[in-house]
Amino acid sequence: MVSLLAYQPASAQLSPGERLPVRPVTLGNGMRLLILPRPGAPTVSFVVQFGVGGVNERLGSTGIAHLLEHMLFKGTTTVGTKDVDAELGLFPLMDAAHDTLVHARAAGDVATVGRLDDRIAALEDSARVFVEANEFDRILTRAGAQGLNATTSTGSTMYFVELPSNRTELWFVLEADRMLNPVFREYYSERDVVTEERRMRVETSPGGMLYEAHLAAAFTMHPYGVPVVGYMSDLEAISRSDVESYYRRFYGPNNAVVAIVGDIDPDQVERWAREYLGPVPRGGTPAPVTSVEPKQLGERRVVVEWDAEPSLRIGWHVPSGVHADAPALAILTSVLTGGRTSRLHRRLVLEDQISGGVFASLGPGSRYPQLLQISASPLAPHTTQEVELAIYEEIARLATDGPEENELERVRNQIAAGSIRRIQSNLGLAFQLAESLSLFGDWTETFRFSDRLRAVTADDVQRMARDYLTQQNRTVATLVKKEGT
Amino acid sequence: MRGAAPSVLLVLALLASHAPALHGQRDMGRRAVEALDYPPIDFRPPVPDEWDVDGVPVLMIEDHGLPLVSVYARFRGGYGLFGREYYAAGTALPSQLRYGGTTELSPDSVDKALEYYAIQTSFGGAGEAISATMNTLVEHLPTAIELWGSVLARPAFDSTQVEIWRGRQLESVRRRGDDPGGLAFSEFNRLLYGDHPVGWEMDASDLSSERLSSQRLAEVHRRVVCRENLVLGLTGDVTWRDMRPLLETLVRKVPPCEGTLPPSPIPSIRDEPGVYLIERDLEQSVIVMAHTTDVHLADDPSYYSATIGNSILGGGGFSSRILSRVRTEEGFAYSASSLWTMPRRYDGLLGAITRTRPENTIPAIELILETMEGLRTAPPEAGEVQTAIERIVNGFVFNFDTPGRIVSRTMFYVAQDLPRDWLERYLEGVRRVTAAGIHDAFARHLRPADMMILIVGDPERIGREAIEALGPVTVLDVRR
Repeated sequence: MVSLLAYQPASAQLSPGERLPVRPVTLGNGMRLLILPRPGAPTVSFVVQFGVGGVNERLGSTGIAHLLEHMLFKGTTTVGTKDVDAELGLFPLMDAAHDTLVHARAAGDVATVGRLDDRIAALEDSARVFVEANEFDRILTRAGAQGLNATTSTGSTMYFVELPSNRTELWFVLEADRMLNPVFREYYSERDVVTEERRMRVETSPGGMLYEAHLAAAFTMHPYGVPVVGYMSDLEAISRSDVESYYRRFYGPNNAVVAIVGDIDPDQVERWAREYLGPVPRGGTPAPVTSVEPKQLGERRVVVEWDAEPSLRIGWHVPSGVHADAPALAILTSVLTGGRTSRLHRRLVLEDQISGGVFASLGPGSRYPQLLQISASPLAPHTTQEVELAIYEEIARLATDGPEENELERVRNQIAAGSIRRIQSNLGLAFQLAESLSLFGDWTETFRFSDRLRAVTADDVQRMARDYLTQQNRTVATLVKKEGT
Repeated sequence: MRGAAPSVLLVLALLASHAPALHGQRDMGRRAVEALDYPPIDFRPPVPDEWDVDGVPVLMIEDHGLPLVSVYARFRGGYGLFGREYYAAGTALPSQLRYGGTTELSPDSVDKALEYYAIQTSFGGAGEAISATMNTLVEHLPTAIELWGSVLARPAFDSTQVEIWRGRQLESVRRRGDDPGGLAFSEFNRLLYGDHPVGWEMDASDLSSERLSSQRLAEVHRRVVCRENLVLGLTGDVTWRDMRPLLETLVRKVPPCEGTLPPSPIPSIRDEPGVYLIERDLEQSVIVMAHTTDVHLADDPSYYSATIGNSILGGGGFSSRILSRVRTEEGFAYSASSLWTMPRRYDGLLGAITRTRPENTIPAIELILETMEGLRTAPPEAGEVQTAIERIVNGFVFNFDTPGRIVSRTMFYVAQDLPRDWLERYLEGVRRVTAAGIHDAFARHLRPADMMILIVGDPERIGREAIEALGPVTVLDVRR
């Protein structure tokens, strides 16, 4: 078979993504915007990405970036309130009760904890009289907003929404207000909501529980080992003032990237950006993450006993998404599990029939050295041990012989088609632009990455398997069914 | 033949607001929001061209923005139109079309070809229809159509692939209890719908070699993948002139139907109020509650009132009452919503769903029931009605944001025998909803005291007495 789409270096031909008429704008306060007009239906997609996430947390306050994300939907000094002064007047009483509660809990004083919990709930009920609940959401809902939401990852927090394009100015009005005048009302009930989110995603989910245990074992020092949703005991201890000071530290406009994509007039959008977002004062420069995961000195294994059928996760330490090896590692994951003809799918699912599915990915974030992680579940009566051994055999084969040329061609062709498919959706494009600017400092880099992927050779992939996917460098997490269940 | 498509010129000027403008002012917050002036949108959404290829309707929107083409196929027919003994084969059919090879190519060759040409396919099915889509770079369109057409119309149902599917399904049966949310929904359906396709849950007997085999798959395939059951859709960087011969070849591979499949049976939905308990030692209970209602999908005021009413009760996210009270006010849950299903042919369900820690299970249920009672006994506030209507009216343009969405939706209307202008009728119907109409809908149809309440959770931590106070308790013995 011949190659479908001959590889050409970036200098010879720009990819469809690089040709997009993106207008970069940097405001005086350091906020960076990417404005992209696109023909089509009269809609517009907005993404705001703040460079803060789980890696910017410490033990004792894990989950704070995600909790703050929830609080930024609670409104401002004018949106979400009937009487903001009356509300703010009650905050110190609640916060003082919470501070005392944290000390009482540490001292094991259950009676005081219960009494103060009730006191905080009563105070929040008193404040609720002055609250116009969910008004921020309601304004956008009435405007026809779609998909209003946010997500917190290890390295960033993204706020996103889509609007009919004649409502573009509304977004600026609300976003500028949110950046300048947020009020963290209904804090304690929202904190309870986040604990319920943790119960749903982790504490009643075998997959969530195993993932958390796996990362904690693989990363002994780097914050990638800590769950973004936070530990339950930390969530119960974080105070409103902790969240406020975290907000001041990380939510300056100089730590934000905005992407706006859709049926818009870029001149008008730039004017609104300067008028509404320009006056937001610059924040401090957030401290960098300095923790470095030490080289792993031997295989680590962790077992989770759970009332569920067995499953397996394996992770090897690999460099970050901006490292020179990143393209070859991405190709390696695709050779391993990208599609039905990939090596591990073929071996485990189709030939040996010992697993229902096998998935490889790079994570949990791309900014710092990460893991190449593989997850799989055995089909009974086969075991995680059999699955694990088969995975190692395939990796050893790849490390010894390298991939075949037709495997790489398949992956390259998919990358070429993917470089066109990925620019179909306005919201998807807004996410890619924001992430590329945030991670690489250049919105075009995400599209140039496709060229780098296509340039990866069989030798490169073999070297990745040989150098990184070693026994000493791996952490294995196994979920085993609890006895008696 | 170019079909006569109904006019879908939308009056999107309705999106305009007439609030006074405050030019030059860059205020923010609520006052600034209220002062904004929105220009009208002048937008004529593309209307699919309608063609006919040997009796098969084809809906098409040309879209020359990117060098991609998508083709969509929808066949009437699914496991719900056959008896239980065909449940596994009917469920397996979509994936086995993709995985089982063709009369010309082995499964491995199909995999290699699709992946080599980077052709994306998806095959899926519900109880009454199966769907397949294919997306390709336009340069590979003839190859892609040829391959995809063979996969659809000339499958081999390779026995090894059938065995692999059986093994994975048996494992899914074994793992069913691992996800408390999924367990709650499947058990709730089984509880209410019994031996109706909606209530079926795959078990080992469905997966026997007699009920799931290459022959059984071929039998179901012959009844479903035939010409009179098919509607095709098409979007992308191609013209009808170029596309027509390719589709003619495709359609001619699909044989005429041998007969008409009967509609799925009308379910007899259980209506026995009380608590149904699945005992599990969990950190968070899953709660599903509902009773039957007889509001059906139709161009009728009661349907529109029920739709907007459900948005106010708990279907409209943070603007709805259930999420506001259960999540925002009490912090009981991350997610809480109402459900009001309104099938066309038979009765639906009205109820709610949430998850909360064991100790808050009963308070959350009581709060949901109290919230329901509030809407049954008094009309909603004018602002709530306005929010729910504006949400649909102002967001209406998103129904047209991609050609694929327009074509897929129109295919659904053709298959469901709904008028082509259904969406415009829907918009008009929604705009006419009043608070009195919603009150009437809830007063007639909502019966909080008659809910069947399923709880998956730990009765010791929830409190057995408190559970019993909700109504008669039935413990469901769900095997692991």
